[in-house]
Amino acid sequence: MNKPIIQVQHLTKTYRVPEKLPGLGASVRSLFKPQYRDVEAVRDISFEVHSGEMVGLIGPNGAGKTTTLKMLSGLLYPTSGQATVAGFTPWERHTNYLRRISMVMGNRSAMNWDIPPMDSFRVLSQIYRVPEKTYLHILDELIALMDMEALMKKPVRNLSLGERMKCELVAGLLYQPDILFLDEPTLGLDVAMQRRIRQFLKSYNTDHAVTVILTSHYMADVTALCPRVMLIHHGRLVFDGKLQSLAEKLAPFKLIKLQFSTPVIDFENYLQQFPDVESLPRQDEHYSLRVARSEVAKVTAQLLSQLPIADLSVEDPPIEAVIDQIYEVGSV
Amino acid sequence: MNHRGGWALIKNTWQSWLQHRGFFFLLAFGWMLPLLVYMLVWSAAAGEGSLEGFSQETLAGYYLILILSNQLTYPITNWTVGDNIRIGQISRWLIQPMSPLYHALSAEIAGKVVFMVFSIPVTGLLALLIHPTVDINITNVILFLPALLFAWVLRFFWGYWLALLAFWATRADSLLALQDTFIFLLGGHLAPIHLLPDWLQPIARLLPFRYMSAFPVEILTGQVTGQETLLGFIALTIWLTLAILLYRFVWQRGIRHYEAVGG
Repeated sequence: MNKPIIQVQHLTKTYRVPEKLPGLGASVRSLFKPQYRDVEAVRDISFEVHSGEMVGLIGPNGAGKTTTLKMLSGLLYPTSGQATVAGFTPWERHTNYLRRISMVMGNRSAMNWDIPPMDSFRVLSQIYRVPEKTYLHILDELIALMDMEALMKKPVRNLSLGERMKCELVAGLLYQPDILFLDEPTLGLDVAMQRRIRQFLKSYNTDHAVTVILTSHYMADVTALCPRVMLIHHGRLVFDGKLQSLAEKLAPFKLIKLQFSTPVIDFENYLQQFPDVESLPRQDEHYSLRVARSEVAKVTAQLLSQLPIADLSVEDPPIEAVIDQIYEVGSV
Repeated sequence: MNHRGGWALIKNTWQSWLQHRGFFFLLAFGWMLPLLVYMLVWSAAAGEGSLEGFSQETLAGYYLILILSNQLTYPITNWTVGDNIRIGQISRWLIQPMSPLYHALSAEIAGKVVFMVFSIPVTGLLALLIHPTVDINITNVILFLPALLFAWVLRFFWGYWLALLAFWATRADSLLALQDTFIFLLGGHLAPIHLLPDWLQPIARLLPFRYMSAFPVEILTGQVTGQETLLGFIALTIWLTLAILLYRFVWQRGIRHYEAVGG
């Protein structure tokens, strides 16, 4: 495999946060003797990302996802640790580095709100020194991909959240960066717009082979886009691998859903013979069984041969349920 | 250096600011008022005669030029630097391959044009009404222009490094208010430097505030001798160098301290 484009070693960021008890008295006291508390936002994270990869950075609120992206994009100096991205140390903010990366934040705008997107795009093309011909070509491509011709002449403040997000993405891609840091790119968007943005990111990644690290709270983003996920919890990297293997590791069972052609009397009793099968609450005529992965084939075969089955399917548990479990427990 | 990006930003800021020109015109009007008030006060004091060499007409000339030079040197963007740091807005500038200083400078240059669209006609009209006397010669004009430019750069960088203290103290803009107060007292606003008490005049000539505001006007209106002009330029250059060094020092340390809040 080619050399990794992103290498992160033992990255740690500790914030010093002023702390104050509620009330006026405490405010006065904090004026003379401020209290601080150290918050370890990111603790000793190490990973590598290869060129062209799309990686999902997931974790609950406050886990350290955004702080990690901010360090990689050069906005924050780490407290300790190393990172090399495309041969540069991000927080040195070398001009040639900044030209190659893009950080798109779902809740922070890169656009000037008083003027139409077209004008902001032009300024960005000048700042990034994109030749005029290339700029027009890229812009045409992005506008077509995003279907946003109609938005180009309205002031940004008059755009909807979804429309603005399209603009943010275009603004972030105008200069053809190699590396994209996307922080919640679908935040607050409706389902149709989320899907559209996802499709766009997927086809953009395929066409341009950009490296992407994406954070999102919508698992649909991650399952649709990222074959690999990194899970951060309380600032620590607790899982790094295929999304599928995260599910397997965490949920070592599958769901068998079945329906009978004629009613089966005493089905619960029948199930007693399988020690690794658990019956879930029935919905009308639909039965759900939780079965250990290793037993799925055997149980399915036996059910099919012994009972009047009208319909049977084997499914993975929903990824949200799996992730929720980690957020609760805090480890994999 | 990224002049191409900087020039594009200036044009953009113009467009953006012209959307709110009513606000900027009112701001410019607000800045004129105290100076007009002091012009009237000193004119009344001078009466029909003269006050330390100032007549009503020369005072009017001094203050009308000061109104324009004050607006041309006033670094309005310094007030937003602290806010941008506090709410994390400079994040979007930090990830661009261009010094964030360009954003401030472009707003400055764009702003001067917007203010002058309002202030030049208004002071012109006032000049027609109150008949000021200004003894302008070509040497003074030639010396006035660099003095005005340096005054702006000094006032801008002095305020900028103070505003950058927001990296540590989230409400550093109170220091900007203090700077404005010093300019008001010692920068020729409350009174021309010549009218200050004798013990205060050398202090005013030593500190940077005169060079941020009154010095170019004193040159243009012929209040300073050749030697005083030379000494003034030397002081101005020293303060300017110091302001730029302080800006670089504070910026380089502040950026390491930046917490990029939000988002």
